[in-house]
Amino acid sequence: MEPNTAAMTEAELVKLAQEGKMAAFEELVARHRDKIYARAYSMMRHDDEALDLSQDAWIKGWQRLAQFQGESSFVTWMTRITINLCLDQLRKQKRQRAESIEAMAEESGGVERQMPVVTPNPTEGLERLELRERIDRALAQLSHEHRTVLVLHEFEELEYKEIARRMSCSIGTVMSRLFYARRRMASLLAGLKRDKLE
Amino acid sequence: MKHDLELKLQAWLDGELPQDQAAPLGQWIARDSEASALVAELRAVKETLPGNETPRAVPDTREFYWSQIQRRIERETPALRPERAPRFGRWQRYFLALAGVAAAACTLVITLRHAAPPIFDEISSTSDSMEAVTFHDQSGQMTVVWLQDNSPQATPKQPLLKTQGANQDEGSPNVEIQ
Repeated sequence: MEPNTAAMTEAELVKLAQEGKMAAFEELVARHRDKIYARAYSMMRHDDEALDLSQDAWIKGWQRLAQFQGESSFVTWMTRITINLCLDQLRKQKRQRAESIEAMAEESGGVERQMPVVTPNPTEGLERLELRERIDRALAQLSHEHRTVLVLHEFEELEYKEIARRMSCSIGTVMSRLFYARRRMASLLAGLKRDKLE
Repeated sequence: MKHDLELKLQAWLDGELPQDQAAPLGQWIARDSEASALVAELRAVKETLPGNETPRAVPDTREFYWSQIQRRIERETPALRPERAPRFGRWQRYFLALAGVAAAACTLVITLRHAAPPIFDEISSTSDSMEAVTFHDQSGQMTVVWLQDNSPQATPKQPLLKTQGANQDEGSPNVEIQ
């Protein structure tokens, strides 16, 4: 008789999955698939790509289950796999596309260098749903490089050094990208607020 | 403001500066309005984003999403994680393997037997006056040869029967089966 996986704890499911029980792994996928998909979407901003990469991540997770030792939570471990796959995909896409002026301005800041500082906080007093929508729209307008560094730092709470390792760049580049990404976000959020008021 | 200083302010905000640099820089930021304004802007973004990501759900059903993953796992990693079989199951597998080999051997023998062309032995008659009619029953694996001696000496006119196969009968001395 198949065990009732729905009633099991995450640790029990992981252990069974490591022993090769597909039913246990299926339950883990069911529990965390939305979070993994959402992270892939936040980096790729494309439904189909996010769906494919999230599934790739689960397959890779299954193949590497023996390496999971429980230092972090299972979903954190899976999220790291997802991020790495997304970064690989973004690197491939970057190689394929021609270097544009916009891309070259990523580290030097482009228009963000001349932007006035936004004060006060443009998101103050917003309802959570509206705030989320506004942040989502602003994130969609960032370049891949700026968005990625923001996702890794603000959402995944990775340190500069770790982001640099994952993005295969220097710590200085990470700091610069993060700085301009934040400045651009502040500007976009303020702009969206102005649009709303007008 | 120099870009290096901007990045240093950000590193201070993110707690990435060593303590001996962070404390004096913090005091300086408090006194400098331009630095304070920039730090406030960066802090607003830093504090607003976490926890405010738009939740997203997989657009496929649980079953469909999993079926695609499962199919690829089975295709791409069949040998990595086989389901662990119980001991009895292993013996069953050995038995099944042997039974399979035996069944294949039997099938081969039967197929070869049926595929072999039917054996029609040549029948020759030493007498010119002898008539022969041959009937072969494939399913019964039997051949019947009807012999009629038309010579004047032959009396009475009785057929000599020769069969070959399952119900083989002794034949006439006039008939040779090679």
